[in-house]
Amino acid sequence: MANVVIMPRQGQSVESCIITTWQKQKGDKVAIGDVLFSYETDKSAFDETAQVEGTMLAIFAAEGDVVPCLDPVCVIGEEGEDISALIPAGGNSEEAAPTEEAAPAEEAAPAAEAVVTAPAAGDRVFISPRAKLLALKTGCDLSKVAPTGPHGRIIERDVNKALDAGFTTTTDKIEAFLAGQLIVEEVKEEAAPAPVAAAPAADDLRAYTEEPFSNVRKVIAKSMHASLSEMAQLTLNSSFDATALLEYRNKIKAAGEVMGMGKITINDMVLYAVSRVLPNYPEINANVVDNTFRKFKHANVGMAVDTDRGLLVPVIFGAEKLTLAELAAKTKEAAGKAREGKLSPDEMSGGSFTVSNLGSMGVESFTPVINPPQTAILGVCCTTNRVKADGSVYPAMGLSLTFDHRAVDGAPAAKFLKELCTALENFELLLAK
Amino acid sequence: MPKSQYVDPGKVFQPGYLDFESIPLCRYSKTLDEEKQIYSKEDFMRIYHDMRTIREFETMLNEIKVKSEYNGVQYNNPGPAHLSIGQEASAVGQAYCLDINDFTFGSHRSHGEILAKGLSSINKLEDKEVYDIMKEFLDGTILNVVEKHNNTGNIKDLAKDFLLYGALAEIFARTTGFNKGLGGSMHAFFIPFGILPNNAIVGGAAPIALGAALYKRSCHKKGIVVANSGDGATGRGPVLESLNFASMDQITKLWGMDGKYSDEGMPILFNVFNNFYGMGGQTMGETMGYTNPVRLAAGFNPTQMHAEKVNGYDPLAVIDATTRKKELLVNGKGPALLEVATYRISGHSPSDSSTYRTQEEIDAWKEVCPIAAYRKKMIEGGIASEAEFDAIDEEIIGRTTKIIKLAIDDEISPRMDLEKNPGMISDIMYSNQHVKSMDPSREPEVLMPKEENPRVKQLATKARYAYDEKGQMLPKMKLFGLRDGLFEAILDKFYEDPTTIAYGEDNRDWGGAFAVYRGLTEALPYHRFFNAPISESAIVGSAVGYAIAGGRAIVELMYADFIGCAGDEIFNQLAKWQSMSAGILKMPVVLRVSVGSKYGAQHSQDWTALCSHIPGLKVCFPATPYDAKGLMNAALNGTDPVIFFESQRIYDIGEQFHEGGVPTDYYEVEFGDPDIKRVGKDVTILTIGAVLYRALDAAKTLEEKYGISAEVIDARSMVPFNYEKVIESVKKTGKIVIVGDAVDRGSIMRDMASNITEMCFDYLDAPPAVFGSRNWITPAFELEKYYFPQADGIIDVISEKLMPIPGHTTKYNETELEHIERSKKGL
Repeated sequence: MANVVIMPRQGQSVESCIITTWQKQKGDKVAIGDVLFSYETDKSAFDETAQVEGTMLAIFAAEGDVVPCLDPVCVIGEEGEDISALIPAGGNSEEAAPTEEAAPAEEAAPAAEAVVTAPAAGDRVFISPRAKLLALKTGCDLSKVAPTGPHGRIIERDVNKALDAGFTTTTDKIEAFLAGQLIVEEVKEEAAPAPVAAAPAADDLRAYTEEPFSNVRKVIAKSMHASLSEMAQLTLNSSFDATALLEYRNKIKAAGEVMGMGKITINDMVLYAVSRVLPNYPEINANVVDNTFRKFKHANVGMAVDTDRGLLVPVIFGAEKLTLAELAAKTKEAAGKAREGKLSPDEMSGGSFTVSNLGSMGVESFTPVINPPQTAILGVCCTTNRVKADGSVYPAMGLSLTFDHRAVDGAPAAKFLKELCTALENFELLLAK
Repeated sequence: MPKSQYVDPGKVFQPGYLDFESIPLCRYSKTLDEEKQIYSKEDFMRIYHDMRTIREFETMLNEIKVKSEYNGVQYNNPGPAHLSIGQEASAVGQAYCLDINDFTFGSHRSHGEILAKGLSSINKLEDKEVYDIMKEFLDGTILNVVEKHNNTGNIKDLAKDFLLYGALAEIFARTTGFNKGLGGSMHAFFIPFGILPNNAIVGGAAPIALGAALYKRSCHKKGIVVANSGDGATGRGPVLESLNFASMDQITKLWGMDGKYSDEGMPILFNVFNNFYGMGGQTMGETMGYTNPVRLAAGFNPTQMHAEKVNGYDPLAVIDATTRKKELLVNGKGPALLEVATYRISGHSPSDSSTYRTQEEIDAWKEVCPIAAYRKKMIEGGIASEAEFDAIDEEIIGRTTKIIKLAIDDEISPRMDLEKNPGMISDIMYSNQHVKSMDPSREPEVLMPKEENPRVKQLATKARYAYDEKGQMLPKMKLFGLRDGLFEAILDKFYEDPTTIAYGEDNRDWGGAFAVYRGLTEALPYHRFFNAPISESAIVGSAVGYAIAGGRAIVELMYADFIGCAGDEIFNQLAKWQSMSAGILKMPVVLRVSVGSKYGAQHSQDWTALCSHIPGLKVCFPATPYDAKGLMNAALNGTDPVIFFESQRIYDIGEQFHEGGVPTDYYEVEFGDPDIKRVGKDVTILTIGAVLYRALDAAKTLEEKYGISAEVIDARSMVPFNYEKVIESVKKTGKIVIVGDAVDRGSIMRDMASNITEMCFDYLDAPPAVFGSRNWITPAFELEKYYFPQADGIIDVISEKLMPIPGHTTKYNETELEHIERSKKGL
């Protein structure tokens, strides 16, 4: 009895995943626990392991293909078994049609033929010999080409359209694209980065390397650009006297371990304060989708984490109910998972607000970009010494609040920032609340 | 139907009886003493010599096949050897009466006939004539071989070596054979001795022999033609068609044209060597009902073709009968039919175990062996002694042994080296010559000066270009049409080449079913232009024979669908004789076939693919008056067989492309050169035949509605075909659809698509698409648009397979999925 392996749904919001590598090929023996294929969601990578043993009888999606969740990906069964009934209709093992999700290049897509999209790097590329020859001759960036030929084939006119739009690249890259290698390179990036050298010879001072965006990078780019282009964002900068906060942290450093508390960072404390102030500002503790507020009952605070794969934002759900120690433990766990790439999509979505901390990098003030569909984001800056009117010096920590003016007016935003500053300046009182 | 002959209802229904004359069976009864008055001792001995030579030659072939050894010489011959041991007296008796002006055609079992005719001719020719023939033939190649191994100083002796060696080297596929080994055992021939092609297709030679007789009759040449066949061949349609064609009334009743021309009958002798078996099927008593093949003759004309049956085991009886038949033919009383009863003692081939006859029967015939019986008769009659016959035997065995040694020597008798000279066969597939007149020594026989011809006068008033000065298309009635282009080319050739003849169904008086020949009746005597019986095999087969004999023929099958009725004649005979003869023969034959429309499944088929598939034919399908005249001129001025496709949809179409219209002067359109009828840059449409105009309509719509610029190329000819222009166009456009009215599967369009894919793969933006007719029968006219490619369908195919056209809604289902489903069902 053959078993169909479907694309797992990694979280309710995930509609499709991209297959990065196949570990098993058609005809390979499969044992329980063997990794069949690796795949990525928008932000995470997973391995799919075999639940049954047998032979890989069919594969319905190639590396680089975007597969809707719960759709069949492959079939494991006995050799020679008839699996014709299991083959999904409308497609075959070699030709998974590129879907909307596989189109990170919409900026290149001509408006007229909206239904067709450029194949993502790594998809099997269907291209006419003539279009291929033209692309290689002109250096047309095929990743920017929207195919309009029969069966989603790139034909000459598609290449010409991309050329008219100015999309060119190197021959090496075109050949790599045609060979469907880019995704493979990306997966192996750490082991063998070997970025493609471009513009060689004449002038070494002009040398550069080209590296295509990773999928995570593409998602970030898309998200950030959408954020800035779709919202009316503005940033308020303020600062608070961090004397009390730093003193409290010193106390924890000194005695926390004795009292059985884990490491607690300044960031944890800011998150704690945010979680306590947020519920007072429902428009800020909210998402906006299609001119509708989603006002959250809890403070689901996203925490920006810098990782090798790019920026990831795990969410601490119900942060307002957690003690500082509990919160610190959660943030530590989430940061670790983020760096290891083990966050599930569900752990990274559903945030009502985000905190981004660049203080440790010495940034004094910045303009954080809102993580859509949230309405605001708080940037945490470094501490600088400031002089009071009486001549005394105090450590001032900067806060930068970007908010979506479509959803929140300037006054309530400023009020939120003010209340947050007050809470942080009086952190011990806040703990007592 | 000529108006001069009145079909009178009063006479048609008159009661009476149709009378038949008795047909003589083996009535020869001369005594040797009587014969001594006719034959010298030398003649008697020569008859023995010739029979004995054939017997030895075939015995040698049999030994080689069966034992791989003859008289101590080892050899293995993988090729065929259809022997006629036992039939020698029949062959020698016939040949005795013939000279080099008399042509013999035979079958796959004709080694004996070849040698008999050759020996007879050698005997009749002067030494110098024989030597010149040998020296000229293939630049003396064969002579060079035998001359080195013959020191008798006797030209006739040398010529016997020449004959045996040329035939055997041919049988063994050596370049020193009569046809460089390309004909082989079943097709060997040697025209200088009047030995014409023998045919591996049973009965295949009959219409060809008829054509050679027609050549002698129409071109006033000396000699008769003998169509030799076995009794098995009398079951074949082409043989029966030829018997009728040769006997048709008009030859004696109309061709004379009131004393202006000859009213002699067809100079052909149908000679049936009745050996009672096909291969194993027994004609008398099993597969036929005539008891004697000679009965056939009674049905074909009132003279009963002067038929008689003769004892083929007595050479003197055969000579007696054949002499009388030849005399009839020479005196214009042909055709004639002779049944020569004989018996094949050997098997059909060495693998024949004679399961169909008893040993008793074979032994009985061996008892009456014609050679032994003749020798006995001669000795008993005091003509010669045993020793004299033994000496002849010895000489023949010696010669045969010498010849086989030469023929199997790879140094002396090499095979074609296709590694060193890969073009040796390619070079002889076509003769590619330009010959204005096949016989410049004669003036063409015509009934009036060309310029007085009523049609010529009428055409002078027609517009030779379809548009007036303002670019307006003129009405069809005022236009010089495609049929007029054909007529002009053909008429010109009739006034240039005296050998040119034309015939087919309803050609004379009617002017051809589609009026191409209107005006020819007034211009030409019957013997150059006549109505053939409805006998497609005989029509095409006789054209082959007419060309082999040295003339130029234009024959017509009213509808291309009738190609099926002349399959062997087109595919095996017309296509192959130039190359099977190693380029010795020319085949200036134009076979006109018309592709119908509106007439349903058996009258609407474009069979260019069938003809293009057969190597050796040239195939064209012009679609404009300019191309029609130019290609017809090229075809008629050439020396290769051309299947000339025409379309009934466009006989009346005017010239829309060639600026200045169709020239009145002579010009040729080169075979193989496709023509760009419309320049474009986005997509190429390659058309075959009349579909050109639908493609142009599609191109117009593509331009006007979708801004797509289509280049339309008219293939004009399919074989040969120069792809260069098409490749150039595809390099420009990247996309091509090939359109024609032939059914899609196995069409020449598919062949072209495959070639174009190979030749310009890197330039293709999509695989070449093919749009032919559905793999159905042709439906009625009202439904034809669902069957034949239409302009909107061409756009559909382009949108579906080459470049989706935004805004275009397809009407026909030409998707790949649909094609897969159709193919599953054989559609």
